[in-house]
Amino acid sequence: MNSVSMPSGRLWAAYFGEMRFEFIKSLRTPAFAVPTLFFPIMFYLLFGIFLGSMRGNSAMSQYTFATYGVFGAMGPGLFGFGVSLAIEREQGLLLLKQALPQPPGAYLLARAAMAMLFVAIISLMLTLMAVLVGGVPLTFSQGARLFVIDVLGALPFCAIGMWVGSMVSGPASPAIVNLIFLPMAFLSGLWLPLQFMPKFLGDIAPIWPAYHLAQMALGTVGAPSSGSTAGHIAVLAGTTLAFFLLAMRRMHGSGFRLLGARPKRALAIVAGVTAVVLALSLSGVIGGKPASKEDATAATDAASAAADTPVSEAPAGVAAPSAAVIADFDNASETAAYGIGWTAARDDMRGGNSKSAQHLVTGGAGGSKGALEVTGEIGNAIQYPFAGTMFFPEGPPMQGLMDYSGKTTLTFQARGDGRRYMLMVISGIQLDAIPLMVDFDAGPEWHEVRLELAKYGAADFKRVRAIGVGTMGPAGPFRFQIDDVRLE
Amino acid sequence: MSQNTLASLSGVRKRFGKIQALDGFDLAVKRGELLAVLGPNGAGKSTAISILLGLQSADEGSAELFGHAPQEIEGRRRIGVMMQEVMLPGVMRPRELLEQAASYYPIPYEVDAVIARLSLEGLLKRPYGKLSGGQKRQVQFALAICGRPELLFLDEPTAGLDVQAREALWKVVRELRHEGCSIVLTTHYLEEAEALADRVAVMARGRLITTGSVNEIRAHVSRKQVSCVSRLTPDTVRGWPEAAQVEMERDRLQITTRETEALLVRLFREDPQLSDIEVKRAGLAEAFTELTNESKGVA
Repeated sequence: MNSVSMPSGRLWAAYFGEMRFEFIKSLRTPAFAVPTLFFPIMFYLLFGIFLGSMRGNSAMSQYTFATYGVFGAMGPGLFGFGVSLAIEREQGLLLLKQALPQPPGAYLLARAAMAMLFVAIISLMLTLMAVLVGGVPLTFSQGARLFVIDVLGALPFCAIGMWVGSMVSGPASPAIVNLIFLPMAFLSGLWLPLQFMPKFLGDIAPIWPAYHLAQMALGTVGAPSSGSTAGHIAVLAGTTLAFFLLAMRRMHGSGFRLLGARPKRALAIVAGVTAVVLALSLSGVIGGKPASKEDATAATDAASAAADTPVSEAPAGVAAPSAAVIADFDNASETAAYGIGWTAARDDMRGGNSKSAQHLVTGGAGGSKGALEVTGEIGNAIQYPFAGTMFFPEGPPMQGLMDYSGKTTLTFQARGDGRRYMLMVISGIQLDAIPLMVDFDAGPEWHEVRLELAKYGAADFKRVRAIGVGTMGPAGPFRFQIDDVRLE
Repeated sequence: MSQNTLASLSGVRKRFGKIQALDGFDLAVKRGELLAVLGPNGAGKSTAISILLGLQSADEGSAELFGHAPQEIEGRRRIGVMMQEVMLPGVMRPRELLEQAASYYPIPYEVDAVIARLSLEGLLKRPYGKLSGGQKRQVQFALAICGRPELLFLDEPTAGLDVQAREALWKVVRELRHEGCSIVLTTHYLEEAEALADRVAVMARGRLITTGSVNEIRAHVSRKQVSCVSRLTPDTVRGWPEAAQVEMERDRLQITTRETEALLVRLFREDPQLSDIEVKRAGLAEAFTELTNESKGVA
């Protein structure tokens, strides 16, 4: 029997043609292309750039630039595999492809390539928008690294999507994929920083793969991030392999051989690649520290270091004094134990018209001699007004950084007119990073406000710029007193 | 496996839960033949073809495609497949679908040649999803033949086609066979098997009941059809032991019988004015019904 062999040129062309076909098909499917391509960009414009600028907070457009990139990296893989695989599995197309001599693995490769190409487009569009509209400071190397993170970051979501697509029915698949996609995006802090969410949501965030991708992306653009890059890569690679194997087992059980007649060979290759990635990332070759020279130059220029160095490499603030008391206002002075004392603060720098003034009063909490009273009026000129008082631990104001990572608890006494006030901690490499904000009510009686620092992982206590107490509204006059501010 | 056997199933058993879909099934497809696989629903036709295509594996027995296990791509590079109930991507145009399918084969036909051969020129502008059911079947047929297959599997190829399109497809199937392509056809249309097949394999309940040429299958059954104009009512004739089945078609009595001579003698005796008599050997439809009934022990 004469054997017909497939010329290798034709085989490569078949793989490539399959990718092209899949990409064109996806572009022409509005139910796929519109949400995956335009939602991340639209959300970024609305919530990142416009909302952020209204709050006078460009940290928002920087944070969301990184996280909507991750949001964009999730969609094409989840929907491309989760929905299309479910539908094509049921509609017989997958069977026909298997009866035809479609090259082994071409179906999966084409789909993964399509997802990565979509993510590449999303990532580039977001970058353009961040730089041109959002005014996010970005070096070429940051942009390039973020692009690679997003594009490779599509893979774990391809694997999760494949697992879903291997199980659910075609008509149910869009709903089920959305049930995974949207909550995971939210719970991973892609829409709203985790520090604004209940603490336990922040605690469990590391179980979501999107969280790890987001931390890598945030670190790349110079926003506060946690965990090590190597750890994140390990989690993402492991997720990819685990869901891929689950999906393959499921498909194989239903009689689909997506990897051809000898799936073990292909599976061994996939497992091998993952093992190499895991080994490299854990041994520090990938995602390890950059050359120490960079650190040295970075230290001399804090601003450029902030722009281009992952957070873990940026210099920490000046070590905090061991004294617990910051200020007790008992010596007829507004100064604090260290740093630049307490200063009345308001929103005039951002175009607001709020007013604030502070002065010492006699008779502090627990019968002490004095306390600090802050009075003023919240204006209505800008959307997020602020008035209150600020403590700068290390001068010059907002520029100096203090390392409070050795401390565990911030406490002070407060009383006031019954309004809701908030404690604000401004920290991090970026000057305009989103502050930590914790509300408290100030009634006529003195009471203690207490903050366990460990609960607020998203704040960067290694680099604290200011601690403030004040209000963001509603508009109208306010009056409150604080005393015995301690950080220990 | 002999040089002339392109695909074979031997002693194949396959069970789905309580249903024994194939129960020791044998089939060999010879080079250059057009084999029609017939059988009632649930006979195991689709299971048998699925195993030959490598879509399912047999519980017992063996399957081969060009000397390879059907799961291996080498054998499948020499076949073309048209399945029932496949939805191709609706947003793609027929030419794109053809180019993709052709890319899987070592020496496919030119896509334009396939389009011209099947007169698909009028369908090229529209996406596949906007085509009519019959037009979709034509595109699927084009996908099946575009790889220059040595063996073509056609599962109910003309379901949903109008008479003209069906004749056109039959013409191409006959041409392909003359060019040396072997064809396995599964169909419910006995007429289709009669029109095309060199050989018929009849299946029932997971087994091969018989195989042979269309004429041999017909000869298998002793029944004949007697058609005449008579004043006798169908009910009267139904009472006779010589008549197996009696129908009235317009003004003619249609009687199926195993005892043609005895029936004719009785007809003339009861109705001397009997006229316009025709005696025909049973068609494949009748042969097929009888064969499958016998296998159930009903006939």
